[in-house]
Amino acid sequence: MELKKVIKRVKELDSNALIATKEFREYVEKQETEINRGISSLCILSILIQAGEDGLHGYKILKDLRVQTNDMLVIEEGTLYPILRKLEDDNIIESKREELGRKRKFYRVTDYGKKIFNHLAGFYSKLTEAIGHLYDINVNLKAEKYLFCPMCANKIELSNLELRFCDVCGNNIEKELKERGLRNE
Amino acid sequence: MSEKEMKHLIKEFLKEIKSKLPDWLKYKKEDKEILAELEEHIWIKAEELSETGQPTLETVQMAISHMGSPQSIAKEYKRRGIPKVYITQEMWPLYLKVLGIVFAIVIGITLISQILDFIFGNVDFWQLFGNIFQGIQIGCLSTFAIITIIFVVLSMEGYFPEDFKSKKIREKEKQQIELAREQGIPISEIKERPVKPYIKPIGVIIGGLIAIIIGIFFIVQPIPAITSLINLKFLIYLKFAGLFMLVEGILDLSRGLIGNRQFFTHQILHGITIGVKLASISVVILMMMRPEIFPILIVNEPGDNIINIGIAPEYYAIFRGIAGLIIALIVLTTIEDFYRIYKAEKYKFLK
Repeated sequence: MELKKVIKRVKELDSNALIATKEFREYVEKQETEINRGISSLCILSILIQAGEDGLHGYKILKDLRVQTNDMLVIEEGTLYPILRKLEDDNIIESKREELGRKRKFYRVTDYGKKIFNHLAGFYSKLTEAIGHLYDINVNLKAEKYLFCPMCANKIELSNLELRFCDVCGNNIEKELKERGLRNE
Repeated sequence: MSEKEMKHLIKEFLKEIKSKLPDWLKYKKEDKEILAELEEHIWIKAEELSETGQPTLETVQMAISHMGSPQSIAKEYKRRGIPKVYITQEMWPLYLKVLGIVFAIVIGITLISQILDFIFGNVDFWQLFGNIFQGIQIGCLSTFAIITIIFVVLSMEGYFPEDFKSKKIREKEKQQIELAREQGIPISEIKERPVKPYIKPIGVIIGGLIAIIIGIFFIVQPIPAITSLINLKFLIYLKFAGLFMLVEGILDLSRGLIGNRQFFTHQILHGITIGVKLASISVVILMMMRPEIFPILIVNEPGDNIINIGIAPEYYAIFRGIAGLIIALIVLTTIEDFYRIYKAEKYKFLK
């Protein structure tokens, strides 16, 4: 749950709570912002990839983000657009204006952006798996659905049976596919 | 509550954001589109928050509060670039370039103004030396401070070097990069531009041929009517100068013919050129020491014979000054050769 909401709730309950103290709150807020900043772009890309070719407008992106992260990852609504602009500048997403009652700007992920996403998602997944034990949690990487390139951690969907090489680093992944019984010896 | 009041509320909020947006966004005229998108967001949110599906003043206020503060929104647009010692990594090459240009101008102006002062007798030699040192020190330090402050502010505002270019130039550069990619020309990671060829062979070949022709002319000395008027020692100096020019010309011609490949050979050729250039200084020094044998050939009246009047003794100092300048120029051109040896190293990697 978003820290600000937690603080609000705690304040209502107990004004002497640790989370209500300035020092604690400022430190935690700062750290939370840092963590959120890193993963928010990745989550936005994930939401946009799910939307496919039609894309989504800004408001819907935020709404889906809230729903799909159980209100944990909350971006200040106005700050979504600078993030989208940066992604567009880097050719990771593209936009077009569509007249649907109201003039709206729809965003979709470019082919290049999909490769960037797969690579970063792979890295992030492997990282969370690796650090999971530090927090005493288990992370399921869905090995039946994805292969993570042993060279660069790129996330590769196993539904594409034609694949022989990682499309980011060019590593031959046939050995890994054989090990999973997805290729004949 | 009227729609007018709701619009006014949104307008005020957007106005505050606009005032805090970085200038580079305004130059690019992107601020209107950004504000339009934010306005659209507020209206949708206000509609959704309303029980009737129609926005009210209260839901508009709530929607605005969800947007975050105008400062935080504008700050996010400024958050560009990778920090590197207060100046972003993206702005760093431009910062160094500007510093280099401004330092060169400061040094140039200081040298010229102080040398002119010396020539006109306003300062003696030691004052000249002191003034040059002081002028360069103060000039470089003050410009360094000003430029650094400007670049720190620009980095904080989220500027990128391309923000100083027009849309037309940006498009042109983008096309050049795409074309270079298609043609397999490497792209410089620092400048983000197609790498320029190491040499322009035609220019180098023409330069080499000219040097060879002049060199042969000095060695052969084919016009006895003129050479008979000149001191024999000077003619020998001229032959040596011709020999050096011939060798340099051949080296240039070879580099031109090799073109943009075999960069190690280029490095060897530049190394030999440095040796030849430094050796040629000895000829200039010899000429410098003997101003009395330097020929000045003139024709008094049309139809008269050519005569050698030489240099008048009162101009010997100027003659030596010019010779000193030529030596300085030769040394400076060897710096270029050293640079090209270093540059060839990068091209080896690219190829």
